Amino acid sequence: MSNSLSEDRYPYIKVKLSVNGRDYEVSVRPYERLIDVLRYKLGLTSVKEGCGRGECGACVVIMDGKLVPSCLVLAVRANNKKILTLEGLAPEGKLHAIQKAFLDVMSVQCGYCLPGVILATKWLLDKNPSPTDQEIKEVLGGQLCRCGSYLRFVKAVKLAVKYLKEGKVYFDIQELMSPP
Amino acid sequence: MVLIRDDVVRPKAVLDLWPLRKELAFIKREGGWVKIGALATIEEICSSFLVRDCRYAGFSDMCSHFATPYIRSLATIGGNIGAAHPLSDATILLLTLDSEVKLVSIRGERWVKLDKLFLGERKLAKDSSELIAEVRFKEVPENSSTALLKFDRRWGHSMGYVVVAVYAQIKDNVVREVRIAFDSIGRPFPERAKKTEKFLRGRGLSEDVIEWACTEVLPKEMKRISDYRASAEYRLELSKVLLRRALLRIKSRIRGG
Repeated sequence: MSNSLSEDRYPYIKVKLSVNGRDYEVSVRPYERLIDVLRYKLGLTSVKEGCGRGECGACVVIMDGKLVPSCLVLAVRANNKKILTLEGLAPEGKLHAIQKAFLDVMSVQCGYCLPGVILATKWLLDKNPSPTDQEIKEVLGGQLCRCGSYLRFVKAVKLAVKYLKEGKVYFDIQELMSPP
Repeated sequence: MVLIRDDVVRPKAVLDLWPLRKELAFIKREGGWVKIGALATIEEICSSFLVRDCRYAGFSDMCSHFATPYIRSLATIGGNIGAAHPLSDATILLLTLDSEVKLVSIRGERWVKLDKLFLGERKLAKDSSELIAEVRFKEVPENSSTALLKFDRRWGHSMGYVVVAVYAQIKDNVVREVRIAFDSIGRPFPERAKKTEKFLRGRGLSEDVIEWACTEVLPKEMKRISDYRASAEYRLELSKVLLRRALLRIKSRIRGG
């Protein structure tokens, strides 16, 4: 996107972002997309670029409580916004219940779509803690999975609902890794 | 943005209208009109009074099938109109409500009927200096309702092989007013099926009348295209089926109140 434009004509703009609870101030070109800033300036590589045109759902992030495709949002538009990416879902060393559920049902094949799917699930469960199958499918309908794990996604979301209802929000990675 | 990324267009400058949302993101009733600001998002429409009013139930139909949740939070009503694309669901529904669009420029403002706005695919009867600021339609009377039907094989990102929206006012089982809009009648932008409307106006909405309107009247004014998504024959057949379903849905909506 940037190579066709003359760099000097478009000076840097300072943008304040609060990403995963940390405040950043970054200098961006006016034409830079949020996805590029998150990936290349902040190093948050869980934000994947699939199609780059808002069709695949791999790049979605939660911005001020809204699910948005970061490939269609200019970085300047995210000024002063709160952004959540997969990295911010659980504290260091922990897994969020949704992540645990997706692992439990072995829904991960190539994994490229998963950050988007998990964030879409988080967004869904935040506003609707016990969704029906239909509601799950409606929301995840926007997330394309090349490997075709769709049925397991539905299973995983229901398992995540169960964990959250039992009050299990975070799981310790060390404990999960060590044999019982 | 997509066209810029793909290097299809190289604009000298792009103006982000999002900051104007403070003024142009309203959805309100005022003086007998329903007014929607061009920067109101589809998501906002989906949680507004429109989806709870039986007369505007077409908006609730639209919401569950409009692209995907993450697009609904960014897509605006003005953008949907400005795209001038056959598959602009919101535009198709607004056509049946006889909407008008406010165009603003430094020279002033003017209102254009939505059905006079489209000239061709992605071509509008407006100057490039004019900005779509608002769309409005008159509140519809009692005993009327709207419906929008769309057919595709999937839910997410469904573009629809065929999209139809209908507004009708039915009193004592007689159609007082009806407006039907399709994603395309023959030209590559959403349009009203005026001959079918004329046929239905003043008639009782019996099964025979609906059948005749869908199978005899509609095909005379509709010309469908074949492309890699669906054939013209299939699209025409779907148009008939969806129009019938839409009319029946409206009938039951009006009866149900």
